[in-house]
Amino acid sequence: MRIAAFDDARIGVVANDDTVVDVTDLLQPYEPLGPEDLLPDLITHFDELRPELEQRAAAGNGKPLDNVRLRSPLTRPSKIICLMGNYREGTDRPLQILDLFFKSPEQISGPGDTVVLPPHQANIFHHEGEIAVVVGREAKDLSADEAMDAVFGYVAYNDISARGLGRTGINSFLGKSFDTFAAFGPWIVTKNEIPDPQSLSITVDVNGERRQDYSTTDMERPVPELLTYISSVTTLHPGDVICCGTNHQGLGSVQDGDAVVTTVTGIGSFTVHVRDEHERAWQRGIDREAGERVKAAAQHPVAQVSGGSA
Amino acid sequence: MRLVLTGDDRIGVLRDGGMVDVTDAFADIRYRTAADRMPRVLATFQERRPRLEEMAATGETLPVPELQPPVPRPPKLIAAFGNYREGSDRERQTQDMFLESPDSVIGPNGTVVLPNHPATIFHHEAELALVVGQRAKDLPADERSLEALAGYTCAIDISARGMGRIGPSRIGKSFDTFTPLGPAIVTIDEVPNPQDLHVTLTVNGEPRQDYTTRDMEYSVVEVLAFISSYMTLVPGDVILCGTNHQGLGALQDGDHVEMTVAGIGTLNVSVRDPQRRQWPRGIDEEMAARQRAVGAS
Repeated sequence: MRIAAFDDARIGVVANDDTVVDVTDLLQPYEPLGPEDLLPDLITHFDELRPELEQRAAAGNGKPLDNVRLRSPLTRPSKIICLMGNYREGTDRPLQILDLFFKSPEQISGPGDTVVLPPHQANIFHHEGEIAVVVGREAKDLSADEAMDAVFGYVAYNDISARGLGRTGINSFLGKSFDTFAAFGPWIVTKNEIPDPQSLSITVDVNGERRQDYSTTDMERPVPELLTYISSVTTLHPGDVICCGTNHQGLGSVQDGDAVVTTVTGIGSFTVHVRDEHERAWQRGIDREAGERVKAAAQHPVAQVSGGSA
Repeated sequence: MRLVLTGDDRIGVLRDGGMVDVTDAFADIRYRTAADRMPRVLATFQERRPRLEEMAATGETLPVPELQPPVPRPPKLIAAFGNYREGSDRERQTQDMFLESPDSVIGPNGTVVLPNHPATIFHHEAELALVVGQRAKDLPADERSLEALAGYTCAIDISARGMGRIGPSRIGKSFDTFTPLGPAIVTIDEVPNPQDLHVTLTVNGEPRQDYTTRDMEYSVVEVLAFISSYMTLVPGDVILCGTNHQGLGALQDGDHVEMTVAGIGTLNVSVRDPQRRQWPRGIDEEMAARQRAVGAS
């Protein structure tokens, strides 16, 4: 099932005829406090809602997708959890240490929205196409066996990243937490439709030019292992989202006027636009230097760098 | 005014060593959990303040009951990288911050549970915490920014060292129970100068951290200006101002931790480690020297 957010805080099911059927009314009995509660409520009560959702989707009374304004299917997750580099990127090195960081869940971008580059003196702003896992229930200390039970579905994600901010020698992740820098779309696909999340193709195109093009077969730590690990650290909630990391081979700049299309097979495609009031310009095309740098750094995953503690 | 959230979800104002129940002043605010509720309460706090003052002045003073953290699950939990000069006279470091899991928060008299992860040590980091009261973006680096705050509280940023990738990792600060917070949100009018607060932390009565916010590299308003240049702040967000690493030490099973920010409050927690690991007691002088070296470079 495909779950979309659209127009003004509406939640819908995307039917097979590419229409979207409004099901927001089915969520009112749970007394949402605001639009941010709709998706977590749908996820929490999905088993009981499912027959009605399927019935509505089959009834054929939806609006054509072209006639609605799709929004980020995640309105305001309680956590956006991002994996640090989690792809082998063409190397045969040993697995890196599993690690993650948190990204601001404020002012998320969705299909058709605009990523706004801030005036900060970044070296460059990169796109990072990814697959993200939407959490299906409250979970802590998941075992390997139960990890997939805690998955609700999957969504395409672009982790817009400002480089070169923060302290030298300590990778700073704050450059990923600017407002509008988390882009999700086009909808959430429930896990039953993605039997194997480790065999999906992810592409990013900028103004029609292919940049990223990789497969989740190359992921260092597969989805169940991510869930097991993350839930050993922090309690997960319905609607939390785990962004599985990107393959850095194929990153490139995003700049004023760009249209960035992120596609994951089995999920779909969505576009975000880029605005930069300062109209800064970087070289177009793939940033091969960044790709090589990540490969080189990953060969020495535990190299000590100077820096302080927080 | 000192605002608290009780274990049974009542909202109180501390007065004369007791608490006045002011829950009725927020009766119209819809909520489902305490975590939902406090951001909404804080967002409307200023406009309700005259009524709260009156209730606090005239209401019955009850003994202070068991308390929850004043914001049980902040919309965002944001932390400053090392933000103290630590006795050196070096140039300021580049300003930087990061996010922690908001699910790491526990309240006064809570229990920090050390996870079964192979950390090299678990440290306490006593910090001044800011609680956001208004939605805000691009705040100025001056006094006006304080108006975006609901107030101040105490926080201990418990930190598992040696976790994750060396250099970038902050994962060891996001374990459940690793951010004790409270006891009260102290409104900004009660704190004439946030850059002149004395922070202390003891473990089992033994002094560990003892520093002043005069030594902060980037002041409270500079912290607010910086982080709000990145992301929209919302009511209930908690911002940790960083610690002075001179005086950190190990936490281990059975420890009792007490931290105080003078004028703001005292926060007590205990520590449980199902694995009962042991580290040397007392101040971690090696850590302290390492931090001074960073500052000197």
